[in-house]
Amino acid sequence: MSDIVLSRPVPVTTEPPLARALLVGLAILFVAIFLFAPLATVFAEALAQGWRGMIAALSLPDAQAAIRMTLSIAVIAVPLNAVFGIAAAWAIAKFDFRGKAFLITLIDLPFSVSPVVAGLMLVLLFGANSSLGVWLMAHDIRIVFAFPGILLATLFVTFPFVARELIPVMIEQGRTEEEAALTLGASGWRTFFTVTLPNIRWALLYGVLLCNARAMGEFGAVAVVSGKIRGETATMPTMVEMFFNEYLSVAAFTLASVLAMLALLTLLLKSLLEWRHADLLAATCRH
Amino acid sequence: MKAALLRAPSPLPGFGLSFGIALAMLSIVVLLPIGALLGRGLMIGPAELWGMVNTRRVWSALALSFRAALIASLFNLVFGLVLAWVLVRYRFWGRRLIDAAVDLPFALPTAVAGIALTALYAPNGPFGQALAPVGLRIAYTETGIWLALVFIGLPFVVRTVQPVIEELDRDIEEASATLGARRSHTLRRVILPTLTPALLTGFALALARSVGEYGSVIFIAGNIPGLTEIAPLLIVIRLEEYNYDAAAAIGIAMLLISFAMLLAINAIQIWSRRRIGLV
Amino acid sequence: MNIELEELAKEFGTERALHPVSLFIPSGALISLLGPSGSGKTTLLRILAGLEFPTSGRVRFDGADATGLSVQDRRAGFVFQHYALFRHMTVFENVAYGLRARPRRERPTEAEIGRRVTRLLDLIQLPDIGARYPNQLSGGQRQRVALARALAIEPRMLLLDEPFGALDARVRKELRQGLREIHDNTGLTTVFVTHDQEEAMELADLVVVMSMGRIEQVGKPAEIRARPATEFVRTFTAV
Repeated sequence: MSDIVLSRPVPVTTEPPLARALLVGLAILFVAIFLFAPLATVFAEALAQGWRGMIAALSLPDAQAAIRMTLSIAVIAVPLNAVFGIAAAWAIAKFDFRGKAFLITLIDLPFSVSPVVAGLMLVLLFGANSSLGVWLMAHDIRIVFAFPGILLATLFVTFPFVARELIPVMIEQGRTEEEAALTLGASGWRTFFTVTLPNIRWALLYGVLLCNARAMGEFGAVAVVSGKIRGETATMPTMVEMFFNEYLSVAAFTLASVLAMLALLTLLLKSLLEWRHADLLAATCRH
Repeated sequence: MKAALLRAPSPLPGFGLSFGIALAMLSIVVLLPIGALLGRGLMIGPAELWGMVNTRRVWSALALSFRAALIASLFNLVFGLVLAWVLVRYRFWGRRLIDAAVDLPFALPTAVAGIALTALYAPNGPFGQALAPVGLRIAYTETGIWLALVFIGLPFVVRTVQPVIEELDRDIEEASATLGARRSHTLRRVILPTLTPALLTGFALALARSVGEYGSVIFIAGNIPGLTEIAPLLIVIRLEEYNYDAAAAIGIAMLLISFAMLLAINAIQIWSRRRIGLV
Repeated sequence: MNIELEELAKEFGTERALHPVSLFIPSGALISLLGPSGSGKTTLLRILAGLEFPTSGRVRFDGADATGLSVQDRRAGFVFQHYALFRHMTVFENVAYGLRARPRRERPTEAEIGRRVTRLLDLIQLPDIGARYPNQLSGGQRQRVALARALAIEPRMLLLDEPFGALDARVRKELRQGLREIHDNTGLTTVFVTHDQEEAMELADLVVVMSMGRIEQVGKPAEIRARPATEFVRTFTAV
């Protein structure tokens, strides 16, 4: 008879149900232990003394100064990196020149340098111990243990984020649209703002998002360069460390939970971008 | 004439400006500081540098950083592969949440991760208390360092392997089956070799990141010289002692390790592209 | 080996890919499943291979029920449309794959595997390419390697999905002749899927014309040309 119902055999390109369940279970357990547990701890510890404890911690002058510091650094560092990223991507994606591969390697370099080593480099370059440092001191310009040093350290560690996101996207898009705009009589800047920028805006936002998360969260490089002077050069992450080392657990975790919220917001926006505009992002570009 | 040799002609404007901005910022932010470190090394001289690195404390710090990074990255290699496979191939409740959460270590500041892990695994923390009866101490031991580095390196393998699994041709798996291969044979002999370049790249990226990691480690490590003191911490200690030369010496050693790993990553990619046309 | 399909149907969700179809393929025949895309011809071929399983109906090989037989146990030599060669293996390793994948007690010795692979590479007239990788081969060479790989498992039948689809016209003519020769030498029951009526008519002993999940007509090429059973067959096979 033709209407005999057959037992459904397992599809050819997947694993047996038991193996599947086991792997899914393993993956969930792994993520729960290594990702969700630490994240939950941040909020649990912050709320150890209830909302009041958190509010009290946030109204500490040191905490507020650290928040201000972190925000000011991000406000300057992120746009600078965006400008750099766009410039580098324009030069690399739209033109052919010698040494391009080497330039890309150099841009990626900060990713593989330890943040502490990055901080060390700036101290050696601008610190009181170097000839440049002595000259700067004589002219009353402070870089190390001051705002410019923290800014440079932040720029170093976030350097590749925007460029790395834009370069593949702009290479993918080619240069025909820009060439078309030019033949229609548009000026160079007009072409950039009306043709190029709209094409890369989501990728740019994606890069900026990641750059911002790192800029606000950088610890190692900033810890070395800033001198961690409370109320002056301490950023949120370095203030977290100081609170924690002084056994001010609630204060440390309250500040940490603000940073964690920021991280969650970043992930949320990033996921939204990936779902909505997957085809316009380098990270999720499918050919 | 010379410019024409260096750069192919193009109708698009703005090469000078964009290249100029890129090069200027690259020089100020990246090249100048690296030059300062290497210049410092030259001023100190190779013999002196070697003398400062070749001490027991520095060696054990460098060895610890490398060993812990290696162990954590191997761990991530295995679990990252499982996670990537599960996320691409299976549909289950909460998949998107987990997929988004994989990037948490990229987004969460390392210091926050560090204090959170410490609170979890400290003798009075929830995980620490649970593991104490089994005789497992994690916080303030080398195991704690592995743990922090597993956290830091977790996204690298997943995110490099995931797109390659997505692009896998189902035909290949079906071909293997029609030739009589069981599923496990197909996974081992057909799929795993295809993923190898991506796995190696992810592993190398995680390793490079973990070797230099500082923020997430120092809280949970205990920082006992010769035992749980990582190389970046030793740099910070030398700087706090105003011993810039010794700090520079360790910094140069670490920079050389970074360069070597960068080279290895590039070599893997060139090799895999030549061999099977995959990135 | 003869193949018998009994009221075979396949649904993907609510989509009917195959209405109940019945067909008898005599042993040693070279037959073609001809139809436009979406006609169900590839689904039918994949069910024969054990890559898909029918929603209802039966498949019999030499009278024995093979409906639920797993793909690994069917021993159907399958040539994929884009060949699905293993990129990280040499041609030799590709062809030897099916032999090496056997359980240890059924596996031939390495020397025997070497002999068989050499014989197959001679059969496809590419004796010297064993050490090359698939991306170093031309399209026509890849197709022949895929054929050799499928033959290596000593299949009970040969199934080909658009075997000439990805090739240019000149190579296509050449390889048609090659497939005919291999079929005649091995005597294997051979089924190939194509959307190209000229190819079907020229190569196959028996042509099965399909449309929208149904078999429209089964017959020798000349019969189908002379007496198309339906309007669809007439227009589709018109030159």
